[in-house]
Amino acid sequence: MYMKEKFPYTCNIGVLVVSILLSQIQLFGHNRTGNHVGAFVTVQDTVPQLLDSVFELNFKNIRPSSVHKSAADIALYGYATIPQSLKGEAAGLYVTEHSGEPGTPNYMFVRGISTPIFSHKDVYLNQPLVVLDGIPLISPHPFSYAIQAYDIDRIGPENNLLSNIEIDNIASIEVLKDPATIAVYGPMAANGVIKITSKKSAKNDKKRIGVNSFIGMSQRPHVNTINGSFENRFRQQFYDLYTTNGRYDEDESYPIYLSDSLNSRYYGPSNWSDSYYNNGMNYGINAAISGGGSRSNFQFSLGHLQNAGIAEDTKFRKYGARFQLDLQPLKWLFFHTSINGTRLARDRNKNLRNRYAMMSYIPDLSAPLAPNREAYDAYRNEYNKSFDDNYSNILEGNMMVNIQFSSFKLQSRLMVDYNEGFRDLFYPSTLMENNNFASNYYGYNQRLIFDNVASFDWRLNKHSNLQLDAANILQWDQHKYNYAYAYKGVNDFIKINLLESDPNNGNYLNPTAFPRQLVFKFLDRTRHNLVSFYGRGTYNLLDKYTASVLLRYDGSSNAQPTSRWLFTPSVALGWNIKNEFLQDNPLYESFKIRASAGRLGILNIYDHIAQGPNYTAQIGYTGNVIVPGYNGMAALVRPYADGWIGYDMPWAYTDQVNVGLDFQLSKRNIYFSLDAYVKHNKNQALTMPAYAEYGYEYTLEPGMDVRNTGVELALGGDFISAGQFRWNSGINVGFNNNRLTALPGGREEVIVQNRMLKVGERIDAFWILENEGIYQSDADIPEVDGIKMNYNGTAFKAGDPIWRDQNGDNRITAQDRVLRGNYIPKVAGSWQHNFFYRNFDLKLNFYFNLGREIINQEMSRRFDFINNENSGNINAVKEITYWEKRGDYAKYPLYNPWSTVNAYQANQDLFLENGSFLKLRQVSLGYDFSNILASSLDGGKLYAYVTANNLFTVSNYSGRDPEIANYLGYDEGYNMLIPRTFLMGFKLNF
Amino acid sequence: MKKILYVFVLFSLSLVGCSKMLDIDSTRVVSEEHMWEKMEDTRAALLGVYALTKSALVDRNAFWVYGEVRSGEYSVPVRRDLMAIAANQLTANDETLEALRNWRRWYAVINAANVFIERAPEVLVKDDRYNEANLRVDVAQARLLRAFAYFYMTRIWGDVPLITASSESTFAAKPREEQEKIMAWVEQELLAAIPDLPLRYSVNEPEQLGNYYNEAPSRWDGALATKIAAYAVLAHLAAWQENYPDVAAYTAYIMDNYGRANISYVATNSLTSPNGFFFDKHSSQMFSFPGVWAHLEGAFTGHIEELTLAAPVVNKSAPDIYLNKERIINIFNEPKDQRFSIDTLGNPLNEGYFRNFNGRYPIFSKIKCIQGGNTDPYFQIFSSALVFSRLEDITLLRAEALAVLGEEAGATDLLNRIRENRGLIDYSRETNGDLVDAIFRERHRELMGEGHRWYDLVRYHKIKNNDPTFVRLIREGGIYWPISELVLQNNNLLEQNNYWK
Repeated sequence: MYMKEKFPYTCNIGVLVVSILLSQIQLFGHNRTGNHVGAFVTVQDTVPQLLDSVFELNFKNIRPSSVHKSAADIALYGYATIPQSLKGEAAGLYVTEHSGEPGTPNYMFVRGISTPIFSHKDVYLNQPLVVLDGIPLISPHPFSYAIQAYDIDRIGPENNLLSNIEIDNIASIEVLKDPATIAVYGPMAANGVIKITSKKSAKNDKKRIGVNSFIGMSQRPHVNTINGSFENRFRQQFYDLYTTNGRYDEDESYPIYLSDSLNSRYYGPSNWSDSYYNNGMNYGINAAISGGGSRSNFQFSLGHLQNAGIAEDTKFRKYGARFQLDLQPLKWLFFHTSINGTRLARDRNKNLRNRYAMMSYIPDLSAPLAPNREAYDAYRNEYNKSFDDNYSNILEGNMMVNIQFSSFKLQSRLMVDYNEGFRDLFYPSTLMENNNFASNYYGYNQRLIFDNVASFDWRLNKHSNLQLDAANILQWDQHKYNYAYAYKGVNDFIKINLLESDPNNGNYLNPTAFPRQLVFKFLDRTRHNLVSFYGRGTYNLLDKYTASVLLRYDGSSNAQPTSRWLFTPSVALGWNIKNEFLQDNPLYESFKIRASAGRLGILNIYDHIAQGPNYTAQIGYTGNVIVPGYNGMAALVRPYADGWIGYDMPWAYTDQVNVGLDFQLSKRNIYFSLDAYVKHNKNQALTMPAYAEYGYEYTLEPGMDVRNTGVELALGGDFISAGQFRWNSGINVGFNNNRLTALPGGREEVIVQNRMLKVGERIDAFWILENEGIYQSDADIPEVDGIKMNYNGTAFKAGDPIWRDQNGDNRITAQDRVLRGNYIPKVAGSWQHNFFYRNFDLKLNFYFNLGREIINQEMSRRFDFINNENSGNINAVKEITYWEKRGDYAKYPLYNPWSTVNAYQANQDLFLENGSFLKLRQVSLGYDFSNILASSLDGGKLYAYVTANNLFTVSNYSGRDPEIANYLGYDEGYNMLIPRTFLMGFKLNF
Repeated sequence: MKKILYVFVLFSLSLVGCSKMLDIDSTRVVSEEHMWEKMEDTRAALLGVYALTKSALVDRNAFWVYGEVRSGEYSVPVRRDLMAIAANQLTANDETLEALRNWRRWYAVINAANVFIERAPEVLVKDDRYNEANLRVDVAQARLLRAFAYFYMTRIWGDVPLITASSESTFAAKPREEQEKIMAWVEQELLAAIPDLPLRYSVNEPEQLGNYYNEAPSRWDGALATKIAAYAVLAHLAAWQENYPDVAAYTAYIMDNYGRANISYVATNSLTSPNGFFFDKHSSQMFSFPGVWAHLEGAFTGHIEELTLAAPVVNKSAPDIYLNKERIINIFNEPKDQRFSIDTLGNPLNEGYFRNFNGRYPIFSKIKCIQGGNTDPYFQIFSSALVFSRLEDITLLRAEALAVLGEEAGATDLLNRIRENRGLIDYSRETNGDLVDAIFRERHRELMGEGHRWYDLVRYHKIKNNDPTFVRLIREGGIYWPISELVLQNNNLLEQNNYWK
């Protein structure tokens, strides 16, 4: 299924070579086993793993867990996706949940962002690598944004692909952040690694069965609705202030839906919310069986889970199956196979904005959806005639051969990660002005890895050993999609884009149900290959000191041919204080100090950089980006919109230094872990506005350096431990700060897409005007040399905002904007409390983001109704939720909304708000029946629990929820609230 | 141990092949080494220059916003950005205006033409099918489009940097060049291109023998710039410079040769028909950028229909721009005008130009190529061609030139040709007033919505010199647009237009 495209021949050679290699080894092995069996071979109790960290290699417990909560506890929350489950669980990992719509992508940032975000596709550049049982998972590619007129949803199913594993199957999750742990993963790990290890099979010659299940609901929120009368009153304030006869100028027209107070659709009861919001059902069931002995064992599991949203019947369902087989046919030979398959299906939101963006067509917006329930239900009835089949299939496979002779190990792995997404969409003609719409998307992401690692554990003398590893990794990535959409089919019964299938028909392969001229088809494919070599030496002395050096050599097909390869070193040092000084001190369970420093390359996500100056078909224009040619023939021009790419683009790289210390006490379960880091990403390419007189919007220039610094702290222990009662508390907190340290060409500042980047400032700061009130009369407006204070040449008048003239030139221009705030929090983390009494436990989890600002764009749009009313702007589309009262109207002065200075523009501190918050994210109460049922469970466990998620939020934010701001820190008001959910469930193992 | 080593050597040998793994030709872009190899490359690059010109003209409907909305004659019910433009508040803080102040798209045309002129000769060596004659015609078109871009820019911004090489190693920033010099250069370029341009493509014209890029004339008519197109641009250039003797000379060539180029006057019903003159592509669209429905070039934006059409023509509550009733009556003040005239009761006699005349918004619906040239109001995808110039335009421009030069008889004759075609009686000074006025009024009626009005107004006021406000606007450079802040920030040799400082 996943071999849709032929893999490159090098891979075939590779496979061939490994077969030869195996046959050689086998011969070799036979000879050896013939000679001295038992002399050096010991039966392993587990299949050996390639350990990513030098600390794991040497003293296995030197690295503290980065995720302190056990996977079993995380599973209690019932989330479908890994990012949701990990939110707040590891210091230094910041997870955004910009929408409560279930199954939508969440973005994760390890140790902040290291490249500025201007649009959706830049988010992809900041994502960590997720490694599932040794397979570095392929992430979706943002290339399809090239054919999209609007930066809203990516085409295709847009399912959260990190829901591919059942949390119940996970043994541990680690967030790897420092050079000591990430270096082995190479350039893909430049933004950190989320390492997921699934449960091992039972090995005690017994079958093990586990069943986990829960059921619960997402609770419908309570909202205040408004109707046309409210909106009309709101607007009339401005007409009263700034017009004499209810019209600002003679051409102006007041919206019809607000001008007729007898129209019950808009002026009647606003009860749409009963149809829009709903309680959703959440459930999950997962069963696993495992068995076998130490030489061969297996595991098989099946799971199904649903998360529901609180509006528009949004749902996310996943079905997973996982099979794992470990074999040790010979004492020195290990096979490991695992296959993980998941199907994701998602019922998406029914937003108009998302629909219009997907259709690339904005109809007449003069009559928004009416707040009256009957009117809204009628619309929903029509909507229900559409279909939106939105699903993904994910398959991860891993085959590993391990050969081990005493101190020599050879490991060969073949790994496949494949996921495909489908979206078949149809909107009936009744939904939009008699035009129906059909689209079909099929796309896949595919990764194949062939890697070989040879290790030699060299025992130098009684006190020291040297572990040597050498590895070669070949990786082939491919992303592809086919997409077609069509308008105006013959009727609403044929919902797919049929093609003439008769080769003898002159119309062969032309569409039959939709007009040929209104069918748009797209094919796109991009590949990336990566070749890596690394060698590592790890020296261990007396179990007190360890030092490791890793040298890598990585070649990427997305790097320019002249600088295709990059050499990067990293060093890690460890000092076991416990063994050094505290050998006899029983208080300290462990005490270590760690330090590591290293460099890793950063990959180019797009393949055009490798091509240098190139030609492409970027000849479209605003609102029609998909123009492929002229006069029905293909056209090729320089990439004027994407920007000039010259030669001599070097690899970007990240230099990271980390020091940490960890200790655990033997009393009260106390642990403490502290990390301080500097992560300096250098030579990154930035699209700088340039060469407008040569037609270019940008030039892509290397030389942007961004430094993230921070401290991460995790500590915990028992507050009270008295008899049967125990109160355990733990806190994870990450402090992060980013700073731009250099721009390409030694520039001090640059303005890119309405964001200012300035050396020495943060890269996620807002660039805004400072608001100082309102000009009450024309006389208030400062005048210098007879010229009135103006905004980019437009003179201020009474009713306009007073914006601070930072440079005192009596003009408000871009130079008067200042950098303020940041949307990546300075402090993020969680504080957990666990209470245990007898077999009961109560767990509370508080999640917080501090030192964060967001822009309340929704209120800016609300007040800027003059510019937004029927403007044909995708961001001015009124959803049914327009009829919900949100925000604090009293906060904003009544400016003249007609003024061409654009009084209510979002980029001013009037709309900048404190986005810090504290949430009680989880409460769960459980009871462990294991003791009571010990005899009948045969050493198994039974645990029952109830959980409540997202119970309350403490925040100063005047909008709905500060967490659901988008990736630019703007709360657009379109995203669904994160639901409050309640669930009950049990976990049974026997 | 030896065997282990042996295995390792074998293993590493396999990795040599992996280096090749890193050479991937992108399927998304064409690299320098795969470009300029064959005649398909020159065709794609040349059509790219056309496509960019069309994009520059239609992005945010610039062609009509610059040429029509700015005249201030249209009423704007909803869109605040267009209101600001109509009121000449061109510094307004708005996305649309910011885009219209930015000349980058025009320089993309120029850069693509420069790259083409410099690189296309490479194909001669690499592809036998590509020959000198083909190259000559191609380069002439690139030069014409480049000159046209400069002419267009200089009408919008006045002085602009003159860049005639791709300079890809330096991208040297340049200051603005005086518009007189730009225009002199444009004229020289067009005159140099003219000898290499055919009157029509694929019809065995001496400049271009055989089928151009193996395609029949029907492929190219109306889509490519011809010798006639070059003269049309020259005529407009000379008129903008008030060099009326040259206008007369350049238009004369067209008047003498339009028949050979398969160009004719358009009948009124064709002018206003959804599948008439503006639909598809044909040689009477003298210099145009079509949006051919059959080529899937229909679009939601980038056509005048997006601005002008609304209910009852299409399903849209209010048009972006419209002409109010008084203004229409004022412009179409003669009876029997086939384009638009009213009876004594004030009811329209024909609906070619305007629908819903007595409604809230009279809809200017002269150009209404909806979908594949039908009248379905429910799906607003349009396919009209952007016509920079047609025979009526040149005829009236010539009439204007002759009138200014004092050749009233010739001017009247030309004017009457157009009037006759539209059902009007011949011009007479008694009923129609001054000849120049009558010619401009005729231009207004005939070319309404075709992106000429603003420039006509400027020329008219230069000739008449009797409207102090407008004359001051011309004198102070207020007829030009301010330059985008973004452009100014990235080239410190540039200065904002004085009027907008």
